[in-house]
Amino acid sequence: MEPLSSFFAVSVILLGIGIYGLTTKRNAIRILFSVELIYNAANLNIIAFARLRSPPLVTGQVLVLFTIALAAMEAAVGLSIIILVSRLNAEIDLSKLSKLKG
Amino acid sequence: MTDLLFLAFAAVTIGAAILAIEARDLVYGAAALGIAFLGVAGLFFLLDAAYVGWFQIAVYIGAVVVLILFTVMLVGPKMGETPLGLKRVSLLAAILVSLLLGMTGALANATAFPGPDSCGSGCSLTLLSTSLLKSYGVQLEFMSLVMAAAVIGALALSKTDRGQ
Repeated sequence: MEPLSSFFAVSVILLGIGIYGLTTKRNAIRILFSVELIYNAANLNIIAFARLRSPPLVTGQVLVLFTIALAAMEAAVGLSIIILVSRLNAEIDLSKLSKLKG
Repeated sequence: MTDLLFLAFAAVTIGAAILAIEARDLVYGAAALGIAFLGVAGLFFLLDAAYVGWFQIAVYIGAVVVLILFTVMLVGPKMGETPLGLKRVSLLAAILVSLLLGMTGALANATAFPGPDSCGSGCSLTLLSTSLLKSYGVQLEFMSLVMAAAVIGALALSKTDRGQ
């Protein structure tokens, strides 16, 4: 079996890619991509850390189930905000947006 | 065998994540994001969390990626990509790369985290479902309340005042 540190390394790299996207992109949908990648990094980290104890903790898997559900809700609300903003302002470049209410 | 699988899943995940951020077309980006989610699900399978892996595939690829594709089609694929100033980007990239290299270097010391023991009955689906429904039943109910609130909020947000 692969050592757990390799899984942690993949998680750190995913987190780095996500932060890079958050800081350098301006398209709102792409920023949502980055947030989802960071969610995945956190989930992978939780599952790998739950295996660290010698009868593994099942709480980690339960927590990740909750996190996945929360991420799906966040995506739903975020995408509906993006659709609303694109209707009001005719663009979704976050550096050019100044109003959310029409 | 497990090493090869791990390497394949890790490479697919990281490559597809980079592609999702950097692809010119948002539709390709969404597809690459789906492939990255699939790679993470494969890593979950390798960690003996098969149910979480299937849940990840169903929710992320079945719901989130499809939702993102719908939004890209509704908003228009080519909207809003102005390039950022080079100085800020390069500074951020330098900070990030040094952070990543430092942390992965620290994690490469495999003695700090030994390989996990074989899972046995600790990873069984029975244990997971009992824990989910008995120990965390209240939290599960709260989660469904939050989900209802999120759906109602999304509906209320996307309702415009065309009727007036």
